[in-house]
Amino acid sequence: MSALTAEQVEGARDRVRVFAQYDHAFEEKADVVVVGSGPCGSVAAYELAAAGHDVILLEEGPPFTTRDLELDGNLSMTRTMREGGLRMTRGTTMPTMQAIALGGGSLVNSAICVRPPDAVFERWATRYDLDRTDRANLDPHFDAVAEFLGIAPTPDEVQGKRNLLFRDACASMGVSSEPIERNVRHCRGSGECFTGCRSRAKQSMDVSYVPAALAQGARVLTSVQVQEIRRSGRRVTGVSGQVVAPFSHGRPSGRSHAFRIEAKAVVLAAGCTATPVLLQHSDDLANASGQVGRNLQFHPGVAMAGVFPETIDPQFGATQGYQSLAFLDEGFKLETLWAPPPLLAIRFPGIGADLQARLAELPQIAIWDAIASANRSLGRVRKRFRSLDPILEWRLHPDDAQILRRAMHVIAQLFFAAGARKILPGVGGIPDSLGSAEEAAILDSPAVKPSGLVIGGNHVFCTTRMHGDPTRGVVDEDGRCHDLENLYIADTGIFPQCPSVNPMFTGMALARRQAEVLSSRL
Amino acid sequence: MLTGLLLVVLAAGLAVFVHRRALAGYPPAPAGLAILHRGEAAFVQSVAEVLFPGGGAMPLSGAEAQLAHSIDRHLAALPRAQRVQIRLLFFAIEHATLLMPGNEPGGRRRYSSLSAAARVSLLERLSNHRRGLFRLLFTALRSVFVLGYLGHPGNLHGLGLAPFEIEPAVSDAELLFPRVGALPSSIPHTPDDRTDPASRGPLDPHGPRHRAYARAGQPGRAGS
Repeated sequence: MSALTAEQVEGARDRVRVFAQYDHAFEEKADVVVVGSGPCGSVAAYELAAAGHDVILLEEGPPFTTRDLELDGNLSMTRTMREGGLRMTRGTTMPTMQAIALGGGSLVNSAICVRPPDAVFERWATRYDLDRTDRANLDPHFDAVAEFLGIAPTPDEVQGKRNLLFRDACASMGVSSEPIERNVRHCRGSGECFTGCRSRAKQSMDVSYVPAALAQGARVLTSVQVQEIRRSGRRVTGVSGQVVAPFSHGRPSGRSHAFRIEAKAVVLAAGCTATPVLLQHSDDLANASGQVGRNLQFHPGVAMAGVFPETIDPQFGATQGYQSLAFLDEGFKLETLWAPPPLLAIRFPGIGADLQARLAELPQIAIWDAIASANRSLGRVRKRFRSLDPILEWRLHPDDAQILRRAMHVIAQLFFAAGARKILPGVGGIPDSLGSAEEAAILDSPAVKPSGLVIGGNHVFCTTRMHGDPTRGVVDEDGRCHDLENLYIADTGIFPQCPSVNPMFTGMALARRQAEVLSSRL
Repeated sequence: MLTGLLLVVLAAGLAVFVHRRALAGYPPAPAGLAILHRGEAAFVQSVAEVLFPGGGAMPLSGAEAQLAHSIDRHLAALPRAQRVQIRLLFFAIEHATLLMPGNEPGGRRRYSSLSAAARVSLLERLSNHRRGLFRLLFTALRSVFVLGYLGHPGNLHGLGLAPFEIEPAVSDAELLFPRVGALPSSIPHTPDDRTDPASRGPLDPHGPRHRAYARAGQPGRAGS
């Protein structure tokens, strides 16, 4: 992707609408309306616009310039996340987040791009009657997205000590590891991916696909909340909703003018938790299979702090720079992690001087995490009463809890192999601090109860799953709803199972393929 | 008649007790709070004093970090439902000792009126409680306070964990979109302002930190 020319900038500005510009109700028409500007929606909007179609991309959140990015991690979350970043699952209590911003989660994620291994697609094909969703079919789309975004391995000069310690620990234990491939160009190692990249090195959608879509003639309407998908028989006719003020979090006083958009096709890319709610709110649309909102899966994750004998300058370095895929067969992936320090420290144990002593050790701390392929842990998404926020019900399966215990034990072994003097496992029911690999064996024992695990889940899947059989899935292999001729879904909700690796890249590749198919049908 | 009078006296006595123990006598709230009322501000201060006492390993104490202000800013930015949940959490713990006093003499007072030792004792009881709900209440409370405390620029700067000093880049996004809430006519940039990302290079791990954090880390600037 190259930067826009002066002429393109001039034309594109006229096709953007922001909250301050809305002064009355409005109606628009387009070939395609795309709901949601996250990675999947932005790719779809760009590809359709580049194919010559009249596209409107809708986003409920505002665009953030580099001057709008909040450095305080706590306040950043309240501005960029739905429910102020405090969304929790019911059943097994677990925090989970969804961004609300132009570019969606790509504004505040760590830009990880991983192609799932062949085995994932083979499993999907076998169990979900899919013929064309394999690496051979998707690789051209992965390649195109990779080239567009400059996806490349994180270079050593911006890894920082906490990432390189992980590399060295894996090497010393004979575990394979690799620098994480990310949609980042010229990373500076500021470690602030989660609050937005002030250097604009991260190629989030608001600096990449959305400007490119605008340059291709797409229109981008921000601060608009879609509340209903309009239907006539087996076709949808468009969407309607209201303008919403930035950071109003669903307050009635934050809603203003109504809008309505007519389109030949609708692409829902509102996210795995919002898309099913929107369908439910639209008279239970596309739900002849009864699968809308069901099959909810996460990659539940656990993180652990390792305390090293001296400072490791953890503030410097790529937010997530190294990973190991060596344990995918066992059901987990290992990663390095950094975040605004207050967010990392909320689980530190103790009261008073004891707590302060732990906090003061932060310059010596690295955080490594694991995400689990929790195919057995299922849940559902339901619409909340008089709200478009979802209710998420989900339970961690005991077998998946066992995977997380095993992963924590491996992380602990890696920390001690790297020279950590102790680890802070952050697990209820066992000591707050473990000082050796032998002590860490407790992590993979029955002493660690599933209820003691502190988990988080930010990769969400399957709530409108793809299935070859219309009675068992919501969309077909092209992302088109089985029940409707011109309604498509392009987000991680269509994944039939969790993909075992970070999902953004797969979502974008699938969205690109869907856009090609949709374009040929318009 | 006598029974009725007795009931009235008892009710009045109970009202006076509740008023004095639960509601009255809070000091004035610090200036500049948008959400927290004086009772909540006093509660925040009383928790901050025992969670983060002076003289510890951190640059600032809880009192110096002015947590009432940072928690107030957080609450103001949250959706209403989440704000109510956190305020209910504060209310529950502030008044828990009226119903469940500890072993200390005079323990049947609201949390913010207890001695420091009694306040620590209650938090320890919550953190080690056999019921998960009570442990969850403690964890939630500590999380809210750690976010505000460690997020104080003086603490982050003192630990060497403040954000780096970075001149915000100008990309296509800054050319196309105004700042949040502004009109497109306010966009100050032209394509000539676009930052060349290749020219900037990796940061120095020991390089300068954001100036606001550096200022807060100077002696006498704890309240910044």
